[in-house]
Amino acid sequence: MDEDKELVERTLKGEEEAFVMIIQKYQTSLFNYMGRMVGERELALDFTQEVLIRTYSSLHTFKPQYKFRTWLFKIASNFVIDYWRKKKLDTYSTDQPFGDDEKASFQIPDDEPSIAKKYELVQLKERIEQALKKIPPSLRELFVWRHINDFSYDEMAEIKGLPVGTVKNRVFQAKELIRSLLEKNT
Amino acid sequence: MRCLKADQIYLYLEKELTPTEFQKIKEHLTSCPKCQKAVEERKILLQASENLPLWEIPPDFARQVMERISPKKVTLRSWLTAAAAGLFSISLALSIFFVFSGENFLEVVFGLGHRLLDLVRTASVLLVKVFKLASLLIKVINQFLGFLFKGLIRLTSILNPEVQIILIVLTVILSVTLIFGVRRKFVGGEKS
Repeated sequence: MDEDKELVERTLKGEEEAFVMIIQKYQTSLFNYMGRMVGERELALDFTQEVLIRTYSSLHTFKPQYKFRTWLFKIASNFVIDYWRKKKLDTYSTDQPFGDDEKASFQIPDDEPSIAKKYELVQLKERIEQALKKIPPSLRELFVWRHINDFSYDEMAEIKGLPVGTVKNRVFQAKELIRSLLEKNT
Repeated sequence: MRCLKADQIYLYLEKELTPTEFQKIKEHLTSCPKCQKAVEERKILLQASENLPLWEIPPDFARQVMERISPKKVTLRSWLTAAAAGLFSISLALSIFFVFSGENFLEVVFGLGHRLLDLVRTASVLLVKVFKLASLLIKVINQFLGFLFKGLIRLTSILNPEVQIILIVLTVILSVTLIFGVRRKFVGGEKS
């Protein structure tokens, strides 16, 4: 049995310390995901707390055949979707297609300008963060999971209930969108 | 092999390709400066993306979550502790008062006790008198009503029914006149 499942089992038996260990293990990744999705530190902290409380109260429904991290981030993702819906922001939909996912083409033009080399690494990171705020939340979510939370494409596909190919294409779209935004700002 | 597309470059950089596909791209890159430049560009962007600064979480975050999950219950032990602390505070305050005022603690306590005892004694004597008076009043009212009842019975046995009716009517008229007279006197008095 893996560590997470053991901690879940111990929590369900009433050992609160086991859930503290779960929190400590996932708090940073969850908070960084929330932070990038809502953009405000305090709100992100509140939401991270809420997600962990929801996770605790529905721990009995967790099925050990699934990966705990996938299950946890599914709760987090649904929480963020509810938040956007309540705010009535129609920009957010997890299933919102961006062109034809499977046939999305990323041809490289002959005169493609170099963006990356123009900035120092610190500057480049700042600009990526700024560009990240401007891309559609559904693409941002996948980008954050892939590059900040270090998720595999399989895990992301499981969380979103999408084919792996679609997830890969959306992550590429997110990266190319960020790149084009950086290009426009130069 | 044709020039690479952006998605192929990402798959190549993230090592998400089969060994054959990976080898094909690697061979193409040796002979294509345009694709080399595109790969280099995305490699830097990818490295920067993977090393974005992490938002720091407060050190007591887990405790905050746990406090919301299971707020601390107020146990009997904590109640007892609070009571003991209260008692201790009162004792301390009294000790400080007696030390600084120079009063004798025992004298003050005995003095208060005596005053309390006097109060109880006076109140109990008063209460006994009130009870005696009340019982006497009840006895007098009871006897008066008894006499009234007996007198009425004797009167009704002497008088015939017509006279009884006339007497009742006269009594009612007299009572009403008396009540209204008294009321008018009081109301008139208030107006003046």
